[in-house]
Amino acid sequence: MSNFIPGQPLIAVVLRIEIKKLRQGDNLILGFSIGGGIDQDPGQNPFSDDKTDKGIYVTRITPGGPAEEADLRMGDKIMQVNGYDMTMMTHDQARKRLTKKNEDVVRLLVTRKSLEEAVKHSMGSYPRQ
Amino acid sequence: MEDYDVRSAASILASVKEQEARFEQLTRALEEERRNVSLQLDRANLPPNTPTSQPLAWQQLVMQEQSPSNATSLSMMQEPQEVVEETVTIEEDPGTPTSHVSVVTSDDGTTRRTETKVTKMVKTVTTRTVRQVPLGPDGLPLPEGSSPLGSYTDSIDRRYMKNGGDRFITPQATSTLTRSYNNSYNDSYGETPESQYIRHYGLHDGYADLTENYGSLSRGVNFRPPRYPYLPNSYRPENSYTLPIRKDDYGHVAQPQVPMGSSTVDLNRSQPERFQAEPYGLEDDRRSLPPEEEEPYELEPDYSTANRRTLQGPNRGRTHREPLRDVPRVRGYPDEAIEAELIDERHPYIHGMYSAPLAQPERGSMASLDRMGGRRSPSIDSIRKDPRWRDPDLTEVIAMLGHPIDPVKSNAAAYLQHLCYENDKIKKDVRQLKGIPVLVSLLDHPKSEVHRKACGALRNISYGKDNDNKVAIKICDGIPALVRLLRKTNDMEVRELITGTLWNLSSYEPLKMVIINHGLQTLTNEVIIPHSGWEHEPNEDSKPRDAEWTTVFKNTSGCLRNVSSDGAEARRRLRECEGLVDALLHALQSAVGKKDMDNKSVENCVCIMRNLSYHVHKEVPGAERFLDPSAPQAPGSAGPQRKKKDDAGCFGGKKAKGRKNGDNDKNYDTLDLPKRSEPTKGFELLYQPEVVRLYLSLLTESQNYNTLEAAAGALQNLSAGQWTWSNYIRATVRKEKGLPILVELLRSDSDKVVRAVSIALRNLSIDRRNKDLIGSYAMRDLVSNLPSGQQRPAKNLEEDTVVAILNTIHEIVTDSSENARSLAQAQAIEKLVAINRTSQSARETKAASHVLQTVWSYKELRNALTKDGWNKSHFQPTLTATPKPTKNGKPGYDDTTLPLMEKNQGTRKCGSGDMIPMDELGPDGYSTIDQRDKDLKYKTVDGSVDQTEREPLKNDTNRKHYIRSNRPAVSLVDACDVKPQPVDSWV
Repeated sequence: MSNFIPGQPLIAVVLRIEIKKLRQGDNLILGFSIGGGIDQDPGQNPFSDDKTDKGIYVTRITPGGPAEEADLRMGDKIMQVNGYDMTMMTHDQARKRLTKKNEDVVRLLVTRKSLEEAVKHSMGSYPRQ
Repeated sequence: MEDYDVRSAASILASVKEQEARFEQLTRALEEERRNVSLQLDRANLPPNTPTSQPLAWQQLVMQEQSPSNATSLSMMQEPQEVVEETVTIEEDPGTPTSHVSVVTSDDGTTRRTETKVTKMVKTVTTRTVRQVPLGPDGLPLPEGSSPLGSYTDSIDRRYMKNGGDRFITPQATSTLTRSYNNSYNDSYGETPESQYIRHYGLHDGYADLTENYGSLSRGVNFRPPRYPYLPNSYRPENSYTLPIRKDDYGHVAQPQVPMGSSTVDLNRSQPERFQAEPYGLEDDRRSLPPEEEEPYELEPDYSTANRRTLQGPNRGRTHREPLRDVPRVRGYPDEAIEAELIDERHPYIHGMYSAPLAQPERGSMASLDRMGGRRSPSIDSIRKDPRWRDPDLTEVIAMLGHPIDPVKSNAAAYLQHLCYENDKIKKDVRQLKGIPVLVSLLDHPKSEVHRKACGALRNISYGKDNDNKVAIKICDGIPALVRLLRKTNDMEVRELITGTLWNLSSYEPLKMVIINHGLQTLTNEVIIPHSGWEHEPNEDSKPRDAEWTTVFKNTSGCLRNVSSDGAEARRRLRECEGLVDALLHALQSAVGKKDMDNKSVENCVCIMRNLSYHVHKEVPGAERFLDPSAPQAPGSAGPQRKKKDDAGCFGGKKAKGRKNGDNDKNYDTLDLPKRSEPTKGFELLYQPEVVRLYLSLLTESQNYNTLEAAAGALQNLSAGQWTWSNYIRATVRKEKGLPILVELLRSDSDKVVRAVSIALRNLSIDRRNKDLIGSYAMRDLVSNLPSGQQRPAKNLEEDTVVAILNTIHEIVTDSSENARSLAQAQAIEKLVAINRTSQSARETKAASHVLQTVWSYKELRNALTKDGWNKSHFQPTLTATPKPTKNGKPGYDDTTLPLMEKNQGTRKCGSGDMIPMDELGPDGYSTIDQRDKDLKYKTVDGSVDQTEREPLKNDTNRKHYIRSNRPAVSLVDACDVKPQPVDSWV
């Protein structure tokens, strides 16, 4: 994502992750925390390569929580939640999108640096399109 | 007045037509005068002094003559001496004197009216102007005077006389004129609306002519009238007016010009009136002068709206500005209760004016501007040279504030208001150019148009973050001047401006006590009490009046809300302010009764109540008598029977009337409230158990987070402390089924509401029964607000709130193994351990640690805890937590009442535990105004700034109380409320 060049086709390696929320008291929890958002200072995001990226990133994972069980990782960038684009949202909008009380399951599309790089490497062996 | 009533609209129209005809004649006469004047001027230039001497004699004569007839009026007039000089101006008309006399006689006949007029006259400078104007034209009606001026004066006098007492209107021809005059007077005095309208028309016409003809000359000279405000009866004052004017305007110029000035003076004066009576003026303007006035008017309206906006912010939409041009004018008159007919008549004119201004009108405006410049005297010349209008620079505008002509002043002030609107740079410039003292001095100006505009400018200037502007207003005694004006005026718009300005000023900490010292009782008496619907006197047999949520009330309550956070002394002053607490309480009860409690006024009132409730048990006079020696938790026992104090008097505030009531019962279980022999009043109302129902109603019904927070904070404050009344309050909350209401609010989405409620619950749990109930029913909701480990609940509560909740839990768990068991069953241990070990907040860690230690102290629970997989290490302050927790450690608990909270929440929470100091709590909601609002009252919401302050407080558990008490917690609260954007959110 960070290599996106305007005018060039965008190659995004996305990972599909499904998390079932855990009921904790009155709350449904996913077990991770997010950072970022278009209303946040992207320069403080430790996970992004592009310091102008205002996307939503996973910042922490609760050990043993639903997110960890689903193999969500710290530093993942959340692209979609249940089909909704998450790349142009305020922090609070993202939080709300993730914490809908009427949704027991969230399906995330995330990008992960390690995956991206793995794909790059693998693609490196192929002739560039 | 009577005459007017009698007259039908048709007759008025007819009179208007007559006036028009007259004006034409007058115009001719004026032109003649003009010529004369020009000749005189030439002469005058050479021998300046001579003319004056003659005039003086004249005036004196006139005065004497008049005096007999109108004893009252004459006496009123201070001018005589001055008049003499003034007369000089008039001098030109030898014949005039006689005419005056005649006038006088006529007046005598109507002595009564004259008298009334006199008073009015005194007030309004404008009136004089008007008179002068008429004089010019009057030449026609009263030909006696050899010179046109004299003749004019005569006619004018008659008119005035008539005006004062409508009866006198007798002179048929003059009648129309008189009306116009009357109107002018009225305007200034605001007495008779109708008459004003009439006046306006008449005046305008006259003015129009004058202005056209005379142009620059008249302008310069005329406008001193302001100084002569006191010459009500004497139209001759004209002379006097001219004189002063001359002095000012001509200042440098030789007196000789004065004579000319006199003629011109009239014109000028008329102009001012025009401005004032814009509606009327409109008509007039069309004819002759409209142009001048138009511009000024426009400006004024715009400004006024702007002011409003700023002052009231949201209420007065900016929308009003331009569209409202007409409106402002109307507003000026509203007081007068203009009749429908009159209004209707106006409208046509107005429409004409605005919609399709005549070509002339515009000119007029141009001309008027020139005049203004001319009036300035020194710079006038340059301005005159340029016939075209140009924007005066700031220095010029400020200079115009001191211009002798009232309309110039008011227009300049209005223009300043406009310029300052949302422009901090210009506000600063105005301050540095010493414009603020001038504006303040105009607050005492007798003309409503002038002090209104000045006040509008001050409101805008006082708004914003630049506290230097506020200080500048204070330094030149602007606060007492505003208060003085508030006492004098009945004009709602002016009152809104005044209170809005005070509200702005009240946001700056150092000014709060100044406002209290100068304005507290006045604000209470003039605004709070009347608008609250509270009857000061026991006339309560009649149906109680409802509160009126007027802008004035909102502004005033906002101002008091701000000042109420200025520490113990401020609270004492407000509590002891006669009628204040009573009125606020009445207003809130009215709001509850009407289910109308989501507005800003209610919010302000609740915040004031909360702030005044802070530390009542320590600060209220005689509080020591009610101290409950017994343990806090055994309220019943303590219940010191109130020591009855004889409160004699009034609210003296310190009486213990209420206390008497308290004597009887102390059985909290039973909660027998004290019976009262006499109604409670004053600050005692703050802590009477009856208020509990009020606050609970607000907590149940209001949708306003600030109101909710304040109401919860009030209960928090009242339930803190170890005195009889807090025992009653705690029991009453339970009795009124308030606990479920509070618990319900723990689920609120508002962080500060959760916090305030949590702290209130903590204080309420001092009552043993409450503690048991809260432990049984609130534990789950409390725990659900806690973050689990690193993960925070969806609410994402702030640190302060989390600490408050932890402290509340601690309080509930202390001395109650049953509650500790409930806590464990609510699956709180896991969260507490997680907070204790991993929270990044030292305060949270410490608070959680305290709870865990307390829980572990119940040996009977250890077995169960162990079964759940916990061991001693989980309940010890450890790891990360250790350092931080240690500080706060248990020690904090010194506070009997709220030990936990205080300890933990160094700042707010701690304080809150005890009581929520208004300040602290307030910061967000209540104090908001103070801190945040200083500049932006309306914007209150931005409370992020204060956070820094809170934190410091945190450290000392003990401090809490003191800090809070001394300083309005404002900062604390504010910070809490406004958290910056979440960087990280658990989901």
